Amino acid sequence: MMNDLFRETELMMTRRQLFGRTALGLGTAAMAGLMGRDLLGADIKSGMHHAPKAKRVIYLFMSGGPSHLDLWDYKPKMQAMYGKDLPEEVRDGQRITGMTSRQKTLPVCPTKYKFTKQENNADGVWVSELLPHTATVAKELCVVHTAFTEAINHDPAITYIQSGSQIPGRPSLGAWLSYGLGSMNENLPNYVVMHARTKHAEQSLFGRLWGSGFMSSQHQGVLLRSEGDPVLYLNNPAGVTREDRRAQLDALSALNQSQQERFADPSVLGRIKQHEMAYRMQASVPELMDLSKEPDSTFKLYGNDAKTPGTFAACCLNARRLAERGVRNIQIFHRGWDAHGNLAGEHGNQCKDVDQGSAALIKDLKNRGLLDDTLVVWGGEFGRTPYCQGKLSKQNYGRDHHPRCFSIWMAGGGVKPGITYGRTDDYGYNIADADGNMLKPQPRKDKWTPGTMHIHDLNATILHCLGINHRKLTYRYQGRDFRLTDVHGHVIKDILA
Amino acid sequence: MKRVSFLAAAFCASQLFAVDFSREVLPILSNKCFVCHGPDGTKKEVLRLDSFEEATRDLDGYKAIDPKALGKSELLIRLHDQEDPMPPRKAEKQLTAAERDILTRWVKEGGRYAKHWAFVPPKKLRPDWTGNAIDALVGRRLKAEGIAFAPEADKATLARRVSLVLTGLPPELLLLQKFLADKKADAYGQLVDALLASPRFGEHQARYWLDAVRYGDTHGLHLDNRRGIFPYRDWVVRAFNRNQPLDEFLTWQLAGDLLPKPTLAQLVATGFVRMNPSTAEGGAIPAEFQAKNNFDRVETLGTALLGMSLTCARCHTHKFDPIPQVEYYRMMAFFNSTAESSMDGNKYEYGPTVKAPADIAAWAKWEALNARHASLAKQPEEKEQAAAVAKEIAVFKKSFKPTLIARDLPKPRQTKLLARGEYNHPQGEPLRPEVFEVMGALPKDAPANRLGLAQWLTARGHPLVSRVLINRVWQRTFGEGLVRTPADFGLQGEQPTHPELLDWLAVDLQDRKWNLKAMLKLMVTSRTFRQSSVRRTKVNDPENRLWARGPSFRLDAEAVRDVALWSSALLDGTMGGEGVKPYQPGGLWKALMHPGSNTKNYIAHKDARQYRRSLYVYWKRTSPHPMMTLFDAPSREISCVKRSRTSTPTQSLALLNETQRVEMGRRLGQRLLREAKDDADRLNRLFTLVASRKPNAAERAACMKLFNKLKQRYAGNAKDTEAYLSIGDSPRDKKLNAAEHAAWAQVAITVLASDVALWVY
Repeated sequence: MMNDLFRETELMMTRRQLFGRTALGLGTAAMAGLMGRDLLGADIKSGMHHAPKAKRVIYLFMSGGPSHLDLWDYKPKMQAMYGKDLPEEVRDGQRITGMTSRQKTLPVCPTKYKFTKQENNADGVWVSELLPHTATVAKELCVVHTAFTEAINHDPAITYIQSGSQIPGRPSLGAWLSYGLGSMNENLPNYVVMHARTKHAEQSLFGRLWGSGFMSSQHQGVLLRSEGDPVLYLNNPAGVTREDRRAQLDALSALNQSQQERFADPSVLGRIKQHEMAYRMQASVPELMDLSKEPDSTFKLYGNDAKTPGTFAACCLNARRLAERGVRNIQIFHRGWDAHGNLAGEHGNQCKDVDQGSAALIKDLKNRGLLDDTLVVWGGEFGRTPYCQGKLSKQNYGRDHHPRCFSIWMAGGGVKPGITYGRTDDYGYNIADADGNMLKPQPRKDKWTPGTMHIHDLNATILHCLGINHRKLTYRYQGRDFRLTDVHGHVIKDILA
Repeated sequence: MKRVSFLAAAFCASQLFAVDFSREVLPILSNKCFVCHGPDGTKKEVLRLDSFEEATRDLDGYKAIDPKALGKSELLIRLHDQEDPMPPRKAEKQLTAAERDILTRWVKEGGRYAKHWAFVPPKKLRPDWTGNAIDALVGRRLKAEGIAFAPEADKATLARRVSLVLTGLPPELLLLQKFLADKKADAYGQLVDALLASPRFGEHQARYWLDAVRYGDTHGLHLDNRRGIFPYRDWVVRAFNRNQPLDEFLTWQLAGDLLPKPTLAQLVATGFVRMNPSTAEGGAIPAEFQAKNNFDRVETLGTALLGMSLTCARCHTHKFDPIPQVEYYRMMAFFNSTAESSMDGNKYEYGPTVKAPADIAAWAKWEALNARHASLAKQPEEKEQAAAVAKEIAVFKKSFKPTLIARDLPKPRQTKLLARGEYNHPQGEPLRPEVFEVMGALPKDAPANRLGLAQWLTARGHPLVSRVLINRVWQRTFGEGLVRTPADFGLQGEQPTHPELLDWLAVDLQDRKWNLKAMLKLMVTSRTFRQSSVRRTKVNDPENRLWARGPSFRLDAEAVRDVALWSSALLDGTMGGEGVKPYQPGGLWKALMHPGSNTKNYIAHKDARQYRRSLYVYWKRTSPHPMMTLFDAPSREISCVKRSRTSTPTQSLALLNETQRVEMGRRLGQRLLREAKDDADRLNRLFTLVASRKPNAAERAACMKLFNKLKQRYAGNAKDTEAYLSIGDSPRDKKLNAAEHAAWAQVAITVLASDVALWVY
């Protein structure tokens, strides 16, 4: 009886999908996800549209806009221009935010930090002294200097990079992945989001960044928290033991089955399954969060910070533990990169927060053989200006938002290790060709400028590494087959392994 | 097993009858061809298939459709061209064999065009039936399929169903008892009338509207600060309770400020125009947000009232629907002259605002005072009394709270088309406010402002508004709409399951002077609604597109919580006022918010406010209450006219572990112990409260097994008992046997987490 009904649920789901979506253009990946292990009892075929290089993604999101000029994009020629006005032809009509548009001058502000060239698998990569640990994994990183966006303020920019649209309402990247990838672990959520602690909690984050937009809300990210229950409402209330809960769930299941017998509604069985998964999560999440079995070497690698829940290092360690347990879609948000006035103070702290953890994560994944099929992405929503906002001194300065180019890095599954990609002009203001001439890439569906990576290109490339064709993963809403990359996006093949 | 095969039926019919352009052909053209050959075909030489004129245009010796030589039509040739087919082989969307067949036959039959059904004003069929039109039109289709209506649901189930549908709560026990005992023919009608008259009705119906207009208590962007707008929400609740005609309901919201001598309520209603998310982010550029705020308004109008996406036309002429880009910006011109600044300044009083009564009771008091004053003022001998009341009014007004309203600038702002939707690329001549041509024209003498827009939307003959609204009323009553894509009545949307019924209801709504309660009564008293919702083994219609069984669906997030509050007698019935803050896990807002935000700290209300209906729960748009979002509530950043209904493990955790749910279980357990004499009776009472009936044998066995087990366990563990019974702020009756209380509390929370409580059936 149970089996037949379960079978019927499957068929109904299948039919519904067929009627509701597939015939109208649901990507095969989403189809596989929806019909994955849960429904057909078989493992999901990884590789939805093509063979994936990565089975999972860990996205380290640096919210606020890290300064490419102080971390990754080495511009020695700026030193000679210290304090002089940024040449008009460099700015070339670029919008200036409301914060610096009233400034009388736009004084060039070279970085105060020392850069060292690290050996990688190509011509080497310059890394700032702010990131000493990350420098040690240079051979694993693909550092892209030419990420760019159109948005110049946080809310639109972060919404854009995380959902493909500057205006709220679209599903987040993570929701698209959840929709496309399905689950490999029945005891843990499929899409996990962490918020790492920071000293400088600007700017805001929004539920929409891991929300499901117009998609079914099952695709929204599940927060893994460092305060209270690690997953909302995970723990039984005081006075309720696991045995009590078992008894309770047995009663609940009997009630639901009785209801099912009355109304013959096959969807009841799906809900019984969800209650059981919740019960398993109550065991699997504490097991996940329990670091007591981690050897000392782990904390040597990640730093002692990793023992303090909520630190970036602890989140990175969680990310590795999640990856080991089959969670495919992990994001860590770290705030505080919005350095308008006190970059020296703030970026110093920010880098201390994230440097060791990110490097440790790469090494740890590599040691465990997981880096090959785990894509790690590090970056923010835009870069920062080469001119100073506010008071300029040799010791300290501020930088405004800069969308025309910024640096991100990727590592692991599917991406060439130890390379850099794209270049910018001598000010780190514009994307440039090999001779330093300004390129003005425009995100157009039929045209891509080699050496550049629009945020749609970044998202297309992330999906590609996971076996998803960004043009084929669609979700119909209001008559339109939406994509994460809208009508844009080019997979950057140059960086693929 | 009887198979209801829509495709097969359509196929057989198609051999006998001419192809139906609107129903069969246009969806294919739209979905598979219009991307290149549709309204957005801007290049002169491109073959277009979106109208007869275009399709028959001579393109240098050939025509897509050649009426004089149909067989030579380019469309026909290319459909079957092996070498160079259409759609091209590399196209994302290919035609199925059946679709190719339909197009072929359509061209051979003359390639005639007709307007998409939803752009043709609805007409009522001449009735050839007596009784309820819904049953006549649903029954006609059932008969054609050889299926009978399902038997009527039993009285108790029906009472619960209709009560949940109309008021979002189960029936009050007295009302239920009266109905069950009442053998008269109109017993059900009386129950329905009582529910329609309940103040809970407006609260429940308002929720759906608040989703559509994306109501939130915060600005929604960047700092996501507090916004003064709840008097608008209260106005909506009152409007539904007063059964304000829907045309007037819309007019006030769109243009209350433009009515002659607007009343306070009319001004408050214009909060609708101000509901767009807004920002004051440091670097933001005003012109950019002037455009974005207006995009949001136009597109909300599209989704909420026209049932279609206009977003495409922001950047280019719509790919599917006949909405040229310039018309999008003409529509935007209606909204582009509002007086507020494009940035909100992070202010609660993001002007223009007015001050309005602080909750729903205050509205009533204020109106009563005004009425009294008006009547006294007419009597010269009552001059002193009138003055006293006037003074009382003046004092009372000091308790008023600010709310955002719409006002127009004295001189309209210029609106131009924005190339590619980019605010810094205005193009062409300034545009006058104008409506979408495919949906008719502004009524004669209508002003070219929001008031004129409202007149157009509510005019007889508007093809969409009445259909879109009544479809959503149907959707919240029956669980799914007649059009299953309530946000898309355009060419890409689904066809109505019962086109004639949709049109009949849309016209009937207008014939009845936009009387919502009358329409709801028509629906819930129909045989169609009253059917049993048991799945029928002989009817293969899993999505209930034939309406051959009664509605069944999971309750929305708000009702999930409200049912538990109500059954545990914790519900505080106070209506309206500033959003309330029940328990929420610590740090949720802080983890997201900028230090400068005034919504970074969530401070739960410790008083009766935390037990108010969920409609009043504080709605922070970037992080709504998790008990709402976990159960599929939208963020309210954009218009939502259909929520998803998911089932997730995190819901399970929330149902059994969340503080307020545990507290509600405890209070419900207490209620059972106090109100019933023995355990059997207690369980009866529990089920009567949440299911409007007694438990069956299996339910009784499951619950009593759980109860006995836990009672025994708690009897031996005072510490756990005490711990469990101490959860939640509301007091506890310590005279009760603690072990029994804890066990009943758990039985209660378990039943509240089951489908018995969470579903309409």
